Amino acid sequence: MAELPQKEQLALHEFSVRYRAALTNEHGTPEQSLDTVRDAVREQYEQERADQRSQPIQPPSQSKEREPDAPEA
Amino acid sequence: MWLNTMDDLIKLVRTYRFAAGLSERIRLAEDIFRLIEPDLRLFVFSKISNDSAQDALQEVLKAVATSLKQFKGNTEKEFWAWCYRISRNKLSDHYRQQYAERVQPVAPEELWRMMELTAQDAPITAQTRHDLDYAIKLLTASKPECYDLLWNHYVIGLDYAELAEERNQNYDAVRMKIGRCLDEAKSLVS
Repeated sequence: MAELPQKEQLALHEFSVRYRAALTNEHGTPEQSLDTVRDAVREQYEQERADQRSQPIQPPSQSKEREPDAPEA
Repeated sequence: MWLNTMDDLIKLVRTYRFAAGLSERIRLAEDIFRLIEPDLRLFVFSKISNDSAQDALQEVLKAVATSLKQFKGNTEKEFWAWCYRISRNKLSDHYRQQYAERVQPVAPEELWRMMELTAQDAPITAQTRHDLDYAIKLLTASKPECYDLLWNHYVIGLDYAELAEERNQNYDAVRMKIGRCLDEAKSLVS
């Protein structure tokens, strides 16, 4: 924040703190917000698990060290 | 009971990044959002009119929660900048009309009503009332553009860099504009 003279700084800070508190008081406990968060976390978790399950099984790597078997004579 | 503080916020966020189980993630997310919800609420309710603000807040919370594991920063400042960037994008994408219409300055009577709501928990002394009166006058004496800047900077707490990003302006332009707005407000009040 800008360097304010003490008077303005104190006044605006006091106002800011109280305004936040009033907003929270007025809208009650944020249980609806926490429900939204829990749902989003659950959704994200399920999505990650689904992504992991749907990853194709990697084929065996074709190592250069391994030469094809020599044809049978 | 152990209460989380803002000092714990970045620790919680960093722990969340490595949390594997669902129950651990939910517990950490609850702790994180108990700390950040009031500030995000203030941000959204300052940007969107009340009719849409509650829905918009839930959209913002969902977007932040969904992306939480992708946050790569290590400081609280970085985390807040990241949260506000997500919030701004969400409001801009989904509430374009309301976001563009920027909330009008709130009347002094309404700001005082909000202040009185806090009196039960924190009594308003004569000196505090004098300070609040001065703060409300500074904010409401300003022209709408200045009100918006002063509100964002001094009430929401957005720094110059965040405001510059939001307005697509450079840092110094925003810093000087806020200084001018404050000087103007002070001259109108005194």
